[in-house]
Amino acid sequence: MAIARPPIEILLVEDNAADVRLTIEALKDARVPNRLHVARDGVEALRMLKDATRATPRPDLILLDLNLPRKDGREVLQEIKQDDTLRHIPVVILSTSQADQDIAESYRLRANAFVTKPVEIDQFFAAVRSLEQFWLDVARLTRP
Amino acid sequence: MSTPDPSSELTRPPAAPTERLFRMVVESLPTGVVMVDRLGTIVLVNRETERLFGYKREELVGRSVELLVPGGLRAGRDVSGGHKDGSDISLEIGLNPIEAEEGVFVLASVIDIGSRTRAEAELRRSNEELERFAYVASHDLQEPLRTVSSYVQLLSRRYRDRLDADAVDFIDFAVGGVRRMQQLIEDLLAFSRVGTRGAPLVPTDMQTVFEGTLATLHAALEESNATVTADPLPAVVADAGQLAQLLTNLIGNALKFRGADPPRAHVGAERSGRLWTISVLDNGIGIAPEYFERIFVIFQRLHSREEYAGTGVGLAICKKIVERHGGRIWVESTPGHGARFSFTIPAATE
Repeated sequence: MAIARPPIEILLVEDNAADVRLTIEALKDARVPNRLHVARDGVEALRMLKDATRATPRPDLILLDLNLPRKDGREVLQEIKQDDTLRHIPVVILSTSQADQDIAESYRLRANAFVTKPVEIDQFFAAVRSLEQFWLDVARLTRP
Repeated sequence: MSTPDPSSELTRPPAAPTERLFRMVVESLPTGVVMVDRLGTIVLVNRETERLFGYKREELVGRSVELLVPGGLRAGRDVSGGHKDGSDISLEIGLNPIEAEEGVFVLASVIDIGSRTRAEAELRRSNEELERFAYVASHDLQEPLRTVSSYVQLLSRRYRDRLDADAVDFIDFAVGGVRRMQQLIEDLLAFSRVGTRGAPLVPTDMQTVFEGTLATLHAALEESNATVTADPLPAVVADAGQLAQLLTNLIGNALKFRGADPPRAHVGAERSGRLWTISVLDNGIGIAPEYFERIFVIFQRLHSREEYAGTGVGLAICKKIVERHGGRIWVESTPGHGARFSFTIPAATE
């Protein structure tokens, strides 16, 4: 069943250019059409979220790194989940950290998923594919 | 000057020790001795006192004891004294009054507790710094390495069919090098965490920990068709996470360094006094005696990477964990006839 969907708008909050590009490359292989917008730190991310424009519309999915300049991912997550107009947007934490406390803290701040940035590129591409599936599931639940 | 015959000194009747002998005893005491009169004037010091305070005895005798102990002599631990070079020394002082024909004196025995406390504090600080350094360095090294690894792999994934055999080889070597470095960093991190991220040592049921270890090793046990048995294991005083890591490493080694037969390992427990000796006996390839010490040193390996994978950190971690628990670890083995790794750990029950 092929229903024409508008592309998924994804906001990637990531300061490392190499990781931004890698995510772009992985999303090129995605089955679902998508548009990626990038914020390079926490302050820019919140500005983009609060002042949505046609060029950067309010995203359907947020990919959030934890360690960011100016305002770190935990603070960004907290602000998103405290904002009535943003809290419904699924947030996936992308982090190099495998520390239990970082994962627990993220879920405490109501992140929707936590993905450890994998060392193997095949794992990374698989993780992006699983994000896609995750989004489709979420979309099915939130947009009947 | 003639050398006294020591036997003649000792066989002399105890009632007649010479003044010279008394002086020798006072001089050679490992404790500082300072005698002062009732006005606090120094009348006698020994060699250790000269060493402790940096003064020659001519500079002390006749002077006030306040030169050595500002505020005057008092008994106690952690009394502050003054070295000739102006630095403070931390002293433990004991006092004894002496009444003699010549008058009343006070005999002070002086021990420098500061140098020991200082050396211990310095060692502790430098160890902590080293561990913190290792942790931060390893953590921060991971990120650029991950970038190198990702992009070399992306090259391979995307362009492999368009490259010739040489190019593919080069990529494989680059990926292999990065993987190895990642493994080294992870192991170094695990090593540094033993000291920095340890949990408190509390009564812990080793049987439960052991069963958890078997679950962790499940895939490796199946794959190698191994048999692991154990005595009933005791309650010990431990950090359960580190104890699990210790058992996992030792049993894991028994599987890894296996001989031609399917690996067998037995975990034994024997109590002597307050300590349990836990041993892991295997039927593997064994180790030559000249390597019994070296295998516990970080990054020391006995085999090429082609023969056995690894970074040479596993047993160093084991040693660090055992030592953190106040025990020791050792190995007995005959090459070709298996090995027995043993460690001691405090019992949780009297």
